[in-house]
Amino acid sequence: MKTLRVSSFGLRGHVGTSLTVPVVQNYAAAFATSIEGGRVLLGRDTRYSSPMIASAVKSSLIGSGCEVLDLGVCPTPVLQFSTARRDAAGALSITAGHMGMGWNAITLIGRDGACLDTNSGEAVLDLFHAGDFRKATFANQGDAVECNDYFEPYLDRLCEVVCVEEIRRKKFTVLIDPIGGAGCVFLKPFADRFGLKLVSVNAEPSGYLAREPEPRPRSAQHLASFIEHVDGDIGFVLNSDVARVSIVTEEGEQASEEYSFAVVADHVLQRQPGVVVTNTCTSRMVDDVAARHRAQLVKTRVGQAYVVALLADEQGVLGGEGSGSVVLPLFSQGFDGFLMMAIILESMAQSGRRASELLRALPKYHIIKHRRPCDAHAAYHAVDSIGGRLSEWAGGTKESSDGIRIDWEDGWVHVRPSQTEQLIRIISESTDRVRAEQRADEIAKMVDHEI
Amino acid sequence: MREALKVGISGVRGVVGQSFTPQLAASFAQAFGMYAGRGPVVVGRDTRPTGRMVEEAVIAGLQSVGNKPLLAGVVPTPTILYLTRALGANGGIAITASHNDVEWNALKFVGRDGMFLRPSEADELFDIYHQQDFPYVEEFELRRVVEIEQPMQGHLERVVEYVSGDAIRSGKFRVAVDCCNGVGAIHSVPFLRDRMGCEVVTIHDRPDGRFERPPEPIPQNLEALGHAVRKHECVVGFAQDPDGDRLALLDETGTPIGEDLTLALAVRQVLSSHARGPVVTNQSASKVIDHVAAEEGCDVIRTKTGEIYVSEKMMEIGAVVGGESNGGVIVPVVHPCRDSYTAMALVLELLAETGRTIASLRSDLPKYELLKQKIPIRPSQAPGVLRAVRRHYENEKLDLMDGIYVDFGDSWLHIRRSNTEPILRIITEAPSQSAVEKIAQDARSIIEASLE
Repeated sequence: MKTLRVSSFGLRGHVGTSLTVPVVQNYAAAFATSIEGGRVLLGRDTRYSSPMIASAVKSSLIGSGCEVLDLGVCPTPVLQFSTARRDAAGALSITAGHMGMGWNAITLIGRDGACLDTNSGEAVLDLFHAGDFRKATFANQGDAVECNDYFEPYLDRLCEVVCVEEIRRKKFTVLIDPIGGAGCVFLKPFADRFGLKLVSVNAEPSGYLAREPEPRPRSAQHLASFIEHVDGDIGFVLNSDVARVSIVTEEGEQASEEYSFAVVADHVLQRQPGVVVTNTCTSRMVDDVAARHRAQLVKTRVGQAYVVALLADEQGVLGGEGSGSVVLPLFSQGFDGFLMMAIILESMAQSGRRASELLRALPKYHIIKHRRPCDAHAAYHAVDSIGGRLSEWAGGTKESSDGIRIDWEDGWVHVRPSQTEQLIRIISESTDRVRAEQRADEIAKMVDHEI
Repeated sequence: MREALKVGISGVRGVVGQSFTPQLAASFAQAFGMYAGRGPVVVGRDTRPTGRMVEEAVIAGLQSVGNKPLLAGVVPTPTILYLTRALGANGGIAITASHNDVEWNALKFVGRDGMFLRPSEADELFDIYHQQDFPYVEEFELRRVVEIEQPMQGHLERVVEYVSGDAIRSGKFRVAVDCCNGVGAIHSVPFLRDRMGCEVVTIHDRPDGRFERPPEPIPQNLEALGHAVRKHECVVGFAQDPDGDRLALLDETGTPIGEDLTLALAVRQVLSSHARGPVVTNQSASKVIDHVAAEEGCDVIRTKTGEIYVSEKMMEIGAVVGGESNGGVIVPVVHPCRDSYTAMALVLELLAETGRTIASLRSDLPKYELLKQKIPIRPSQAPGVLRAVRRHYENEKLDLMDGIYVDFGDSWLHIRRSNTEPILRIITEAPSQSAVEKIAQDARSIIEASLE
């Protein structure tokens, strides 16, 4: 199985098969070499393999002369936030995010808290391939110090960017499913700050995945099944590092994760107009919301690194993706689930609307997502070949900057190899449900034929 | 400087920042995990500033092949050996370069019997390492790290049970300890004060591995301790090495009695107060040991240099005490390894039971002069030099078990390659200073001539 993916901002693979201790050590050593020692923050999720990977990473960082601030189990967005405020040269987050059990990954973070920029990332890759690492002697050996006073300052700042008092007054009952991940131990302080009555499920930080790890309607079943019984105002489904969120309404509707960013954009843009950045396969809801607030919308490739980088270039006010993520540059440089939950609650508090009403206020699209398992090398070939056959498909306009996207008046389809998993992802959206389904099915058939 | 890596029966040693890297440490830990078989493995380290890095690498390496690391933290090497057997672990890894300077670190591998790997076992481990084909486990098979609670307790209780604790405590001895900025800086005061009832003066007691004296407890490195003994009027000075396996003694005047005599006094105490039986030591140990054993009617068996050779022979023949001339005392009833804590307890017991001073006890022993020298040598030069030496002494009584041992009757010469450093050790013993210098000088000229 070719499961290892080494890139300029991260390393991911299947533990024991491709993601092995030597690979991890060399990658961390390359990063440490690129920042010439210096202070590095380290955080991890609760996956079974994360402590081992953390040890391997620490050995390399210390051995290259880095001063490691070990945040232990820490959601990636909190790590990103802290990196910018601890005068660090960078950070590493060990998290499998939305991937299934058995997988893990390292994400590299730059000194500003964003995913490592391409130039710095390329330097890491070159060092990784050359195997030429900084070696500290006893005299300039690094060290690792545990650090656990970082969540309070994070919440303090979060309470400055949303109106905490208005949320507190509402005494919302909020259901959260952190899937046994890095969010678990932070839910209570988060809820306490915002005066929430917290009902949590899968909240033991065990690393065991009790459901599908991607926040999406299917993974929201558990919350949806009882939200009405506990008079919940809203439910949030998280991934294991609190970077993605999907919503369950008070009526028990398992909303598509595409709604999360659209709801947030609708709220943020009304008080703070400016450029919005998203990716090429996010719902047209976001286009419509941006248009409604006369905000310019700029699109880029799929991935946090690309969205946040473009956001900086465009000096935008808000970024996010249809996978259920948001970044607010005035707060931090990372996709942040706590931020997303806080903004949605603020929107509910200020507008007086219930969760279901927030969703209904958005333009209605039907979005269909298919996934096809496929090895990475075969996936690129398949998508290329489908692109060739789709050049003139039913009068649509083709665009191929990141996978293949075809746009019509009523909707679009997008097919691309996943950057993070051995998958081809197909997304189809239309104002007409049947048409969205037909287009998705047709592409899926082509993919099946190619692989 | 690639030659600053030594892989041998004493484990894997190197200079951190050169040949000894996190990757190397993790890779050897993987090999050891595979060698030991899936299960618990004890991991402990000394105070060196590079210890934490190596520890993290070892943890990751062990976990990756399905082993469960049991962390002892910063503890003496004998404690790691003790814990490996006491906890029923599959093996242990001691992260310590023992008496090497601060820039070095090392991995020493412990078998499930709590003894360092024998040469044949070490060979198997190195074969696995060189194969570089490790059975990585998948995520669901990973075992979590466990920190051992109170890692010192079992080992030290065993030491205390072995000696007459009451007699020692009622002596209320005032002692000075030179901890060499090693594990003793953490563990020796609690041991001597709380368990042995001593009043304790310490020097070099910052546990940070930045050695304030050269780490070998040899006489020329122990002036500060001598000063402390005199200033505080202590009955004895204890000099430990950084990982707490070796011990040198200073008498009540602050004078080093020579680290080879630690073993002599310990042997005397065990044979006269605990049990009679054979004594095992290596070829380079002083003839004083034969004298002490003979007084109690016991035999001395000699082995090659290297702790494992001594320990193994002791277990094989049921020896009651043994050790090495470098201040390493082994009492198998406590644990079959060199242990400065056992040695300190025996010396205190000797003082308590005889009511005499170290200087007076030392004067009972026959006087030999021991001279230890070393010559730096590249590995490729060693065989030629040893051949030349052997030819020179071919008409004498030779023993080639370990390098070249020449027996001149009341004096001897031992030339061997170090197991731990790229040096040749020349050890000579004779009844007088002039005699010992003459033998050593002869040996040096032969070696130097063959190096030209």
